Amino acid sequence: MSRRDIVVGLALLAALLAVPALDPSRYIIGQLTLFFIWATIVTQWNLVLGVAGIFSLAQTALFAFGGYVTGMIGLYFGWPLWFALPVGGLAAVAFSLLIGVACLRLRGAYVALLTLAISQVMYLLIITDTECFYMDGVTCRNLTGGTRGLTKYGDFGFREILGAQWILGNYYLGAAILALATLASFIIIRSPLGMAFRALRDNQVYARSRGISRFKYQLLVFAVSAFFTGLAGGFYAGHFKVMGANTLYLSLSLFLLSMVIVGGVGRVWGPLAGAATLMIADEAFKEFVEYRNLGIGAVMVLFVMLLPKGIAGTIEDTLLPRFKRAPKGEGQETG
Amino acid sequence: MDQGVASGDGIRGPLLACRNVSKYFGALAAVRDLGFDVSPGEVLGIGGPNGAGKTTLFEMISGFNAADSGEIVFDGEPITGWTPERICHRGIARVFQMNAGFDTLSARENVILANYFGATNRVIPGLRFSRESMDRADQSLEVVGMADKRHVACRHLPVLDRKRLMIASALASEPRLLLMDEPVGGLNPEEIADIVAIVGRLPALGVTLIIIEHVMRFLVQLSTRVMILHHGEKIYEGSAAGMIRDRTVVDVYLGEGTSTRLAHFLSAKAGDAGPAASA
Repeated sequence: MSRRDIVVGLALLAALLAVPALDPSRYIIGQLTLFFIWATIVTQWNLVLGVAGIFSLAQTALFAFGGYVTGMIGLYFGWPLWFALPVGGLAAVAFSLLIGVACLRLRGAYVALLTLAISQVMYLLIITDTECFYMDGVTCRNLTGGTRGLTKYGDFGFREILGAQWILGNYYLGAAILALATLASFIIIRSPLGMAFRALRDNQVYARSRGISRFKYQLLVFAVSAFFTGLAGGFYAGHFKVMGANTLYLSLSLFLLSMVIVGGVGRVWGPLAGAATLMIADEAFKEFVEYRNLGIGAVMVLFVMLLPKGIAGTIEDTLLPRFKRAPKGEGQETG
Repeated sequence: MDQGVASGDGIRGPLLACRNVSKYFGALAAVRDLGFDVSPGEVLGIGGPNGAGKTTLFEMISGFNAADSGEIVFDGEPITGWTPERICHRGIARVFQMNAGFDTLSARENVILANYFGATNRVIPGLRFSRESMDRADQSLEVVGMADKRHVACRHLPVLDRKRLMIASALASEPRLLLMDEPVGGLNPEEIADIVAIVGRLPALGVTLIIIEHVMRFLVQLSTRVMILHHGEKIYEGSAAGMIRDRTVVDVYLGEGTSTRLAHFLSAKAGDAGPAASA
């Protein structure tokens, strides 16, 4: 990690921690908390898609899986969500390993098709779940919550501690998860592991001949990127107190994918830049209900055409070198 | 003829032994019942017409395509059916015919990776590249004369540099046997001289070589022994001087013209003080 990255990271963290002191509206705090969730997923998706170059569209499926597992453990085993949360993360890792194995023999667009199918099957299984799993008074409840969504598994307990300011507890928890996810992604990208992912992305056959096992490192990237994604799912479940199949909507998946692209595919700062930009754009288009997705699409098209390296890529490759001509070190992005 | 073989190595068995190795693609025998040995310190040159099975042989030795029958023994251990990664860790590196490389990484990163992941099996990779890997990488870049271009991204390198980088990467994985598949294919005479100089340095570094090449001058110049394949079978094995007089080799591969030119080349080389100096 370069000194620049550390300075930028700490500055961002300090700014986010200071936001509540400005006494913003609950809406702003809520939107920032949502930003933490989306950005966490995007940092991990960037590892799979950007760094390892695997066209997986399963990231929201892992997110939903982590969320559902967390909620179900809270509901059916009565665990506090604090303990259910890491289990949700680990469950996402296990699920992701299965997906990784299934994708091992596939390349490019076929990986995208399979992973998209997996998340759509999950969606269908949940919304067609009508069987009674337990009776809640006179109401019949499904195992997954079905179309109504999974509820009544509790939350992170900030209402008891902070009272009316409970949302700040969630805000800081979300910020902590994002900070850890970002730190983990930085460490991985700059480490031999991240370089092995990039080597396999660039040339699989050649990488194998230099001792880099595709089997091992492809499964590793699937596993590593799933943990924080699952954690984000569990946090989402605890924050909103409801886990629904809307987390598996294709539109959400595309929204997050645009964040990866707009931010800069494979860039360390890309996910944060992309998530912030897309959420602001989404906010701006909110007024025009039926044109909302169109607006998001337009932003993505503009970026792909005008700034194909994304925000982070353009800043790193074009803007920063204009300020100072730094020699290229081995830690620097060449992707 | 064996001017390059280090004395004293003869006591040990062959570094690589292929026994009755065959590979079929459907009914076509790409390699048929092939057997040969390579001793430590040797430079074995392999020639033959297109489709003779030369690259298929490399595919089998490096683990990308398992042999259908027969056995490949490296340093006393059968490696038939091993994965390419494992064979790399065991000590066989390969330089590809195509300009392979990690395009988005810098030259130095390419070589560091080759050392870090290629020289030993990393069960759990560390958080940083070791000092040792970086030093080995820098040494390998020195050997091929690319120390000044180490921060250039691989995709921005010209063809000759990409070939040199591939050799440096292979070297960095600390091989005892290096397989070179047409290292000078597509290069002009000046560039070929450059590669000749680099390859000439390798035996002194303890690397045994097998080189596939169509540019026969290159092959006879560097090889201590030559093997010619045709339709997946060995039609000649021995000295370069013997090859140009061999009736079968001249008929199916060299042709009279090349044979005569090579004969002149070899006699001129014999008169030369430095064998690797002329192109």
